Amino acid sequence: MNVLVTGATTPLGAAIVDELQRTSAAFVLAVGHEPCATYLHPGERVEYHSLDLTRPRSVHDLLWGPTRDHAIDTIIHLAQHRRVGDSGSRIHAQNVGATREMLLGAMEHPTIRRFIYRSFSDVYALRHTTTELIDEEAPLDFEPQAPQWVRDRVEADTLVSAHFGSRLQVAVLRCVEILASDVGSQLWDYLQSRVCLRPLGFDPMINVLSLADAAIAFTAAAGSTETGVFNIVGADTLPLSRAIEESVRIEIPVPGPLMAPLYNLRRSLAGFEFNYQMNLRRFHFGGVLDGTRAAERLGYVPQHHVEWPRPWWRMLIDRLTALRLAPQ
Amino acid sequence: MSFESHAQRPPFYDEGYGFDLFGLHPPAVERAVAAGAPFYDHYFRVDSRGVEQIPETGPAILVANHGGVLPLDAAMLCLDVLRQTRRLPRAIADHFVPRLPIVGTLFARIGVVSGARRNVERLLERGELVAIWPEGVTGPAKPFRSRYQIQQWRVGFAELAIRYRAPVIPAAVVGAEESWPMAKKLPGLRWFGVPYMPIPAFPVPLPTKLYIRYGQPIRFDRVAADDPAVVAEEAHRVRVAIEQLIDETREERRRDQ
Repeated sequence: MNVLVTGATTPLGAAIVDELQRTSAAFVLAVGHEPCATYLHPGERVEYHSLDLTRPRSVHDLLWGPTRDHAIDTIIHLAQHRRVGDSGSRIHAQNVGATREMLLGAMEHPTIRRFIYRSFSDVYALRHTTTELIDEEAPLDFEPQAPQWVRDRVEADTLVSAHFGSRLQVAVLRCVEILASDVGSQLWDYLQSRVCLRPLGFDPMINVLSLADAAIAFTAAAGSTETGVFNIVGADTLPLSRAIEESVRIEIPVPGPLMAPLYNLRRSLAGFEFNYQMNLRRFHFGGVLDGTRAAERLGYVPQHHVEWPRPWWRMLIDRLTALRLAPQ
Repeated sequence: MSFESHAQRPPFYDEGYGFDLFGLHPPAVERAVAAGAPFYDHYFRVDSRGVEQIPETGPAILVANHGGVLPLDAAMLCLDVLRQTRRLPRAIADHFVPRLPIVGTLFARIGVVSGARRNVERLLERGELVAIWPEGVTGPAKPFRSRYQIQQWRVGFAELAIRYRAPVIPAAVVGAEESWPMAKKLPGLRWFGVPYMPIPAFPVPLPTKLYIRYGQPIRFDRVAADDPAVVAEEAHRVRVAIEQLIDETREERRRDQ
């Protein structure tokens, strides 16, 4: 198995490259936008290319150059813009245009047989009628008023899903939020505050994914021949209030209408990325993805708990406690 | 044995933080049971018979009639099952209920789940006892003159019972309709997806005695869960069984009085 990983300079991309190296004899062609790969660990079977996927010529050269030369058979496409607040045609080109170019190029390619696309749980429409358990058949969020972050992801997801049944084996992995720094996690940013506001009267169930589990899921999908949409869930399912408690933050329930102005103020003053409008429905209605299909067909079962964004003093206490409890 | 230990017995599927996938939290169940006990024992003086019809293990569906302005009948039925068996019934509520502020969270903690197919399937796959009121909101929404007349009868439970080979236990609750009838409903107020705003006839429910009766489990031998005619027929069987139970229980109540 030879794999091309786009977005390889992100924490997720690097984790997938590491996991592929650890579990298989795969040669990995890692692609990123940055000139040097921050998170990526160099290896004998890893080759890094820096290029701009928003340019069709770059995509063409990648597919018909190193991809063909290394007989790449699987693409794991992760390259998506991570900052929630950004919008515009360039972001759309990265989120949707690059996906389209990669997919169309792969369709015609002599060596590529499998295309794995990283999608997001944000593509599901959350309404007051949405069920607690969201499976792969749940309706997507096609609301025109949705932020570009969501619209782009829905567009790219449906674009890739439209190629099920083609000569290419296509798998769409709709991942729940990865709770880690530098992955564009809204919840991570939300939990950075010493005080977390929660909408009064609502305490939705949430599910979060660790980087390690996400990497395992993509590696499992790369090694499989299954096609279709798969929900990728994490090992941590809990109410929002409990997530705040796990992060050792102070929780204050606030009437719903005050949440957006207060978090907008926080964003303006402190420069955080958390956008309450983006998370309004999730914070009211919740919804946990059903990962049964991925378990049955990809053999993916989450095993690793996330590391909560605890304050430094608490992490120090945790470490010391762990050292004290460790066998001599 | 405490109710927490009831609730923590299998099948409580802890997702690692003391909550299950739907938000059930055993300590909350214990608190709810403690809070409901005086109402069960002294206010409504629940008279229950036939709870042994509920299987001790495995997937099962408890189906009952529904009435009264708020679902006190459902609360007392679930409390009855919890107190008398080792099983925690997972009450299936209409879609809007779990999304209500405060109420939705409280209900989720004591095991209420919204009535979506996938939710119920997951519960039955796990071998849980599911409590369903197929009348939905049409039961509590009916006028007092239609008390104990079963309204709209949804059939989805029968399909799932056939598919998962789950026995259906019919149950009748008598007394709730007189306890807290509805004076008027305001259909214009549709906050949080609520279909209407009920105006009760009395500010608090009257302390009428509640009679709960469980019938023989109904097992569906047919395998045609995809055939709407078969599903409707089996659902009708359950409806007839519940209507019979209601009539018998009302007759019994008349004799008591």
